[in-house]
Parts: sequence; structure tokens; C-alpha cells
Amino acid sequence: MSGSRQLRTGIAFILAVMLLALAGPALAPHAPDALVGPTYGAPSSGAPLGYDYLGRDVWSRVLAGGQSIIWMSFSASLLALTIGALLGMAAAYARGRVDQVIVWITDVLMAFPDLILVLLVVSMLGREPWLIVLTVSVAFIPAVARLARGVTMGIVQQEYVEAAWMMGYPWHRILLRELLPNLATPLLVQLGIMLTWAIAMLSGLSFLGYGVAPPAADWGLMINENRAGLLVQPWAVLAPVLLIALFAIGTNLAAEGYGRSKARIDEKQG
Amino acid sequence: MISRRDLIGRGSLLAGSSLLLLSGCNSAKTEDGPLVGTPKRGGRIRVGTVDPSAAGNLDAHKPTGAGIIRGWALYSKLWEWTPDVTPRLALAEEAEIAPDGRSWVIRLKKGLEFHHGKTIGADDVIFSIRRLTDPNLASPFAALLAPIDRDHIDRLDDRTIRLHARADQGLVPLSETWISFGGIVPTDYHPVTNPVGAGPFRLKEFSPGQRSVYTRFENYFKPGQPYVDELEIIEFKDQQARTVALLSGQIDVADIVPAEQARLLSGSSLVDIVESPTNGVQSFDMNLKHPIFADERVRQAFRLFADRGDLVQRALQGKGRIANDLYAPHDPTYDLAIPQRVRDVAQARSLLKQAGKSDLAVELVASPAGASAALVFAEQAKDAGINIRVKKVDEATFYSPEARTWAISTGSIPARGFLASGLHADAPTAVSNRTNFHDPRFGALFNAALAQPDIEKRKLLVHEAQKIQHQRGGLLIWGFAHVQNAASKQIGGLGSERTQFAAWRFDELWRRDT
Amino acid sequence: MTRLSAVADALPTGDAAPAWHFTLPGWLIWTGGRLLSGLTAILFISAVVFGATQILPSDPARVILGPDAPQASIDTMRHQLGLDRPVAEQYGVWIAKSLKGDLGRSLDSDVPVSQIVSGRLANSLTLMLIVLLVSVPLSFWAGIALALRRDRWIDRTAMSGLIFLKAVPNFIVGIGLIFLLATSVFRILPAVSLLEPGLPAIAQPRYLVLPVLTLILMSFPFLLRLVRAAAIETLEAEYVAAARLRGVPEKRIIWRHVIPNALVPAVQGIALMARILLGGVLIVEVVFSFPGIGTAMNAAIEMRDLPVVQAIALILALAVILINLAADIATVLLSPRLRTARKPRIRPGTRARIRQSAGL
Repeated sequence: MSGSRQLRTGIAFILAVMLLALAGPALAPHAPDALVGPTYGAPSSGAPLGYDYLGRDVWSRVLAGGQSIIWMSFSASLLALTIGALLGMAAAYARGRVDQVIVWITDVLMAFPDLILVLLVVSMLGREPWLIVLTVSVAFIPAVARLARGVTMGIVQQEYVEAAWMMGYPWHRILLRELLPNLATPLLVQLGIMLTWAIAMLSGLSFLGYGVAPPAADWGLMINENRAGLLVQPWAVLAPVLLIALFAIGTNLAAEGYGRSKARIDEKQG
Repeated sequence: MISRRDLIGRGSLLAGSSLLLLSGCNSAKTEDGPLVGTPKRGGRIRVGTVDPSAAGNLDAHKPTGAGIIRGWALYSKLWEWTPDVTPRLALAEEAEIAPDGRSWVIRLKKGLEFHHGKTIGADDVIFSIRRLTDPNLASPFAALLAPIDRDHIDRLDDRTIRLHARADQGLVPLSETWISFGGIVPTDYHPVTNPVGAGPFRLKEFSPGQRSVYTRFENYFKPGQPYVDELEIIEFKDQQARTVALLSGQIDVADIVPAEQARLLSGSSLVDIVESPTNGVQSFDMNLKHPIFADERVRQAFRLFADRGDLVQRALQGKGRIANDLYAPHDPTYDLAIPQRVRDVAQARSLLKQAGKSDLAVELVASPAGASAALVFAEQAKDAGINIRVKKVDEATFYSPEARTWAISTGSIPARGFLASGLHADAPTAVSNRTNFHDPRFGALFNAALAQPDIEKRKLLVHEAQKIQHQRGGLLIWGFAHVQNAASKQIGGLGSERTQFAAWRFDELWRRDT
Repeated sequence: MTRLSAVADALPTGDAAPAWHFTLPGWLIWTGGRLLSGLTAILFISAVVFGATQILPSDPARVILGPDAPQASIDTMRHQLGLDRPVAEQYGVWIAKSLKGDLGRSLDSDVPVSQIVSGRLANSLTLMLIVLLVSVPLSFWAGIALALRRDRWIDRTAMSGLIFLKAVPNFIVGIGLIFLLATSVFRILPAVSLLEPGLPAIAQPRYLVLPVLTLILMSFPFLLRLVRAAAIETLEAEYVAAARLRGVPEKRIIWRHVIPNALVPAVQGIALMARILLGGVLIVEVVFSFPGIGTAMNAAIEMRDLPVVQAIALILALAVILINLAADIATVLLSPRLRTARKPRIRPGTRARIRQSAGL
């Protein structure tokens, strides 16, 4: 697949999953909490995906349960992107002590495997969605900060930027003209990569039992709740698994495709 | 007035007890299934157990996690549970309560030995009970024996002791409260460096969180038992993993299998499932100290809108029986005349209205094990116009002191007699009284029953106490959970019981294929 | 495309170089500095881990004793555990003991933490070593093979396949493999890793296959992509074209130029992969009930078994810091210009860019 086709396919996947998640609650035949069938009931004409461990309609819960992983993964990644980019640029711009401190902090943060950091915080402070988002973004910030710092340093050291500097150009113009265009591509690629990781991490947390709390209809939670019955009523697990996988593949394809098509343009220009 | 529900409830109870009669007489062994055949000696049995978090220890008196199961292999007690949850003598040859219900004389059988060869004597029994009740050991189960005056235990001879109650307390349920965590251990016992007892197996190897291995204790107090040479208890973190292990022959026995796993296993030609219709209580505990549930009418309303049959069908996946807000239905003092409560949403609504609590919103705190029941109950509450928000917390939080402030939470009580259950749940001296039920009349009746060894006289006290519980207590007891144990068809000796621990009777299990 | 070979350039050194009476190699001094900053990080992390575990919303004494324990027993237990002492004092005691190798006793099973952790650490390390031993050569072989066939259908198919593999969360891969190889389709492997505690994990290879396979599938795509990118860059370089014109055989080009040039990004890539694996075992071990450090950590968090949580968090942080340090040293030693520089510095953002080009 070419880069731009990957990008298009990826975005199509993401949009399809988002559409399902947004329109889903309106389309669901039953309330997501309603106890309408036998426990672990098999698929039938009334319930295309069967019933879950309490006898709730799996199809209705799938339709109702997509929103949290989408907004949580997006907000965690965007938050990390913003804070990380600012930190990285600040470090590269200020140099010296500030730079050292920021680098050291990111080093320390990076010494925790992401999941352990999140697991520790969530198990300590509770599984409020905003807290999970915040912690996941903290786990991502170091990578963004380092990336932004590296790119910024490369640019700041360029002669023409130093020249612009010496000539007294206002710093926001340097930022807008020189820094942002150069930062945009790697940061956007990083955003796609982070989304994929956020999805993996959020669903992994749910799998371990630290995700969104019941009785919410949520794909990650559905996997966790119905896993014990995987071999009895696989659809209660497989349906959310497939949708999460589709979403993750979409974000990864988009990141990949965007990076590749940009690289191609750069090659042509360079 | 007897309703249809009532008959069904009673009916299922009777069906349960006939099952019990069959399994009670182990010698007959005429039914189908795992009891068929004469026990053979030899071989090794691997038991798989699931605890998602705790690894546990080997302590006889303060077991944690799978330590409770390991205790069944390592330790013997003065009494043991019969399959219908009554105590019978085990290491004790004789145990007699005084007519005033305030002291016991207990004599050991002759010639008993511990795993390391030492003879079991009165000193060991005294050491054991003093260790169990030692404030520095801080065993949670010490509270069950709080009425014993641990500083004045008489040693009558090498095999005999006399226990006294502290002032004004009764010791009638001693034989029940001293079983489960009352392993008799030698005076040189240490849970880590010298974990010996007089149980059917002696410890060979212990890796916390993974497995423990045991070999047969040749001088076990039951002649000819245990049957197998070696026992292995393997710990799983995950039900699915254990099921797969049982199906592929990596383990021979799986205890307390959840319904959906049992459904999977029942399709296999290699595995038998034995159901125990236990009297283990499933409840919602309403906190009388909380402003919402201080009002008796609100408690009544909750008991009335609960759809017990639906709770059993969904939360227990049909593996249970409905209950009538009272525990210990097998107890000879249980009042069978109290009618089964049936669902009456209209009545519940009107009670709430009288109490000025229509449109009530309340948070129900659920343990991991109780979460399913809580979610089902929350749906049922909608019919009565009540908004229940379920808050699932992990085990550590569920048992934290914070629990005292919760309005309502999920609960369970192990299968025990009336007095022992009360000492667990809602008696004046109960060890964890989540309901804060402190009715003066109920308390007086319960304390009198504790000191009344005569069953007929005690019955009168208990019947009145149960009427009070049923009318204004804090427990909403909606069901009794059945336990499904699974074993390879090569395993014999796994019975159906009223207890929750049929699969832990390691001295009864044997292999067909040795 | 990110220029991967350029990462190891030495930055211009400071103007006033001190006069050394005896000359230590620059990279050695640099290593010392890195070691020192790693140590401070560890100390900081230890304080964070300890402080964090103090605010867990539960009482370890209550956890040990269970629901029925009276308050008096709880208080006694708290005293025995030293939980009634000031937090700073508890931290001091903990650090002092940890330095002596005494990690405390498990609240749960009352055995020394080191006894629980050491066996499980060995199991997890075995798992990760096998994964590295398989996926590093595999990535080199496949990465270079794909680079040589760049943009042909095999390359394009493989790269698309890798995207899928990379995106799907690891527990889903694990559950899928159980379905495929253990329970439903083929029943050829044990779904559950019931290791015999007495034997080393390596002696029980049957139980290692599925977890190892899952971890390989989740980690090798990253390394493969790095190697492929570096190989493509080398193959496009002018000196390689010149060598080809001179008739140097392809094999020689690969061994003399392609592999050495891929080493530096690969070393950093392996360090990143090891960190992913350390996080990955946490979930994958749970999927297979593998008795490793991941399942121990999970259980300990759930049980509020603080000494075990602290020990494992610290060990993992230490491992990551050591791995990064080793990778940086290897990078310096592998790049001649850095090795001889008086003040070697890996270019800022190097690791971040390698991460990105690997898709991390």
C-alpha cells in the first residue's frame, strides 16, 4: 500500500469506528443495562450477538460502549502532545539548567514501563476516567518532549534561524515560520502512534480489571466481564475485541501512511 | 398465608435435603458419579484453586488466600464438619458442655500424633487455643472465640482440658466456632519454619502463589486414610486458565467452579461436576446507622422489591436457591413458620412514600464477588423508582474500615448454624456487623441462646429472634449459593454437601487408576 | 526519512579542554557521569514509589487480617509492621534494608520478598531472553531481506502485515493464540504455563512457547522496521553503489556495510524493545498464568502487598535505566567518532527519533 492509501484506509477505519460509537446509542434496540435474556445466551434472531454474563444484549452494549475508549485515547494523546511539545521546545530554547532538569525528569519517567506507571497510579487513586487519561498522557509525555526537543534543537542551531534571531526577528515569528512547520510532521506521526498505544493501554487496563467501572457499557470492560465465558459465548468478548483492534489498526495505519507520504514529498522536494 | 413462592422456596429446600441424605451416608455409595466404587490407595492428586490476588500463607490460625485450603491438608481439629454442616468429633473423643452453657470439658482420643511424631496432649490443645486467640497474632478469627477466658484454661489430665466462658457469656456454639480455623498444633509450632499439624497430609514443599506439595501422613487419626500418596495444590490467578488445565489433565480437581466454567466442563467426557446445594448466604447489608436505612420502612421496601428468583437466575446463573432474609435453614432451631417474602413492588413503593423516600438514590458498594448481584439488584430497583448506583471496589477496599460508612453493600456468610452465623454477621458481639443492627430485644434473645444448650428451650429463643430479624433486621438475604466442584472421572470421593468445601476433604479423595 | 546513521555524530566539544595529566578515554568519563545520573534517578524513583504506596486507600494490616478482624488486632498488626511510625522513618528503614538486599517480608504470604521475587524474576528473564534471542536475529535477517526487496510485493505485504501486528493489543494476540493453538483449533500446546517451581523455566520449554510467541509477535515488528530502514539507507549510499560497481559481492556488502550500519539504531531499538517487553510481560503473563514478575506485580497491587509492589517497581525501573545505559555505552563504542571524542554526546532527540521510526 502506498503511503497516501494507508492514510486514507486508516482514517476510514477510524471514522467507521467513531461513527458506530457515536450513532450507536441511538440505534441500540435495548438499554445497555437492561436484563433481557438468559445469562450467556447464544445469538438468536432477536439478539445477533447473544447475551452477556448477566443476560444483557451484547449488540446493544457494543453499540453503546464505544465512546469512552475513543474520547479517552484521543484526549490522553492530545494532552501528551501539547504538554510534551511545549516542554520539549522550552528545553531546547532555554538550554542549560532548564534543559537538564526537563531531560532528567523525562529520563526518570521513562524508567517506568508505561503500564506499570499507569497501573500504580490507577490502583492507588481510583479508576476515574479523567485520572486514567491524565496518567496515560503522563506516560506519553517524555517521548513527545524528547522528540520536540530534538527537532527544535536541530532548527535552533541552523544558521538562518540564528541569523533571524540576531536580526531581532520577534520570537513568535520564528516559532511560526520555522519551528512549527518542521515540528508538525513528526508530531502528527507521533500522535497516531500514541493513539495506537493509548488504545492498547486502555484496553489492557480494562483487561486487568482497572478500567472503566461497571455498570458502564464499555468495550474494554465487556472484554473483562465476559472473559470467563469466552468459550461459552465468544461473541460477548470477540465483538468488542474486533472493534478495538479495528480502531487501533486504523490509527496505526494513519500514522504510518502520513509519515510515509510526507517523507515521499520531502524526498521529491529535497 | 402461604403463597406459591413460599411453597417453591420450601420445596427446593426439601429437594436439597433429600440430596443431602444421599450424600450424607458415605458408606452406601450407591448413586452415580464420583462416589461409586471402593477407595483405592496410592497415586497423586493435583487440586487447582483460584485466587486472583492473594498467595496466602500456611498459618493454621490466621490463614489468608489459599492458606484456608492448605489448612485442610495440614491440620486437624477437635471437631470436623459433617456434610450437612453440623459438627462431629474429630481429634476429640468426648466434648461435653455444662448445663449452664458456660464451660466445656474436652478429652482427646488416645495415641494421636503430629506430623513430626510428637504425641498430641492437653498442652498442645491449650497452646493452640491460646495462639488462636493471642492478641499479638491478631487473627481475625479470634473474635469467634472471644467468649473463652483464655487465661483460665484447666488442664485436667494429659488428654483433658476444661474451658470457661468469660462472665455472662455463653459457649453453646463452641463446637462450630472452633472448627474452621482451630487447627490443633504442637507447642513448638511455627507457621513458616515448623508448619506441622495432625492433618491428613504433611508439607513437602511450598511456593507461595504457585503451588504446595504434600505427602500422606501415615498416622492420621482416621485409619486407612488418606488414600493418595501425594497431594498437590496448584494456585491459579484466572478461572479460564484453570478450566483449560482441568480439561487437558494438568490438574485433577477444581474447587468452587463458577457457573459458566461449569457449563463448559459439563460438556466434557473427562470431567464430573458435583453440585453442593450449600447454605452459604448471599446478601445485601443495609447499614442501620446510615440515615437512609435507619428507617425500618425503607429496609422493608428493599426486601420487598428484590426479585430473589431473578437474582438467583442471573447473579448465580441459576446455581442457588432463594432465601427468606434468614440464615442457617438447616439449623434445628430455624423457624420454618416464617412465610417466605415475595416480591411486591406496589407495597415497596407505598412504604417508601410513607417514609418520605420516593425517588430515593443510593450507592451500593459491591465486592468483586458481589458485583453481578449488585448490578441485577440495581435494575430491579428501577421498578420501585429507586436509583441504585453500583460502586464496585476491590477486595482491599471492600474490607477497609471505610466500609462502616457505606449505606448498603454486598455480603456473604459461610454456611454455619444459627448461632455461629449470627456471631459472623449481626449478633451483639458479631465480628463484622456491617448492618449495625443493635436491637435490644434481639440482643437479649441471642445472648440467652448462646448459653442455652438445650435445643428445645433454645428453639423458643431463636424463633423470636428470627421474627425480629425478618421484620426489622439489616440483612437482605436473597439466596443461598450452590457450589460446583469439578473432578476428573479418575477421582473418587468427591461428594455433594451442604457445605462449601466438599472439594477440600483431601482425606476422602482417591484415584481410580492407580 | 529520518537519517538514522547520522545519530552518532559527535557534537563539537567545548573550546577550553582541560589539560589531563593522564588521559582517560572520554567515553569512560562520560559513562561515569551517566551512571551517576542513573543513580540519582533510581533514588528519586524509590522515593516516589515509596511515597505513592503510602497513599493507597487501604490499610495493609486490614488486608492481612481480613474483614472480621477487630480494631485491636489491626492496631497490634500495624505496630508489628511498623506502619505507625512516621513515613520518613519508614522510608529510611526501607532504603537501608533494600541496600543490604533485604526487601522486607510479603504481607500476603509472610515469606521474604526476595524469595518470591527472585524465582519469578528468573522466570520472566528467561522469557525475555528467549524473546530477544529469537527476535533480534529474526529482525536482522528479515529487515535486511526486505530492504533488498524494497517496494516489491513481498516487502509491501510484510510491512502492511506488521502494521496490523503492531496495532493489535498484546492480550488480544495472546487470547487469539490460545484459541488457535491450545483450546479450539489445534490442541497442541498447554494454554496455561504451570511451571514446576523447583525446575528452572528453561527446562520446561513446552510452557514457554505460547508466552514467548506472543511477546515476539508484539515486539519484533519494531526492531525489524528499524533494521530495514537503516539497511535501505546504507544500500542507497554512494559508497555502496561504488562498491557494487567494483563488483564486490552482495554478501560482502551486507556483512561489511549493511549490518554494521544497522547496529547503532538496532542497539537503541533493542533497548526500547526491552522496555516494551517489561511492560508487556505484565499483561501477557496474566493471559497465560505464567508465574513471573508480571503476575506477581498484579497480584501484589490487588492485595496491597506493599513490600512486593515496591520491590518490583524498583527492580523494573532499575532494569530500564541499566538497559538504556548499556545501549548508550554500546552506541558510543560502536561509533568511532564518539568513541574517540573527548566529550561524547549522543545527539539530542536521537532516541525519540528512533522510537518514532520504529513506530513506538
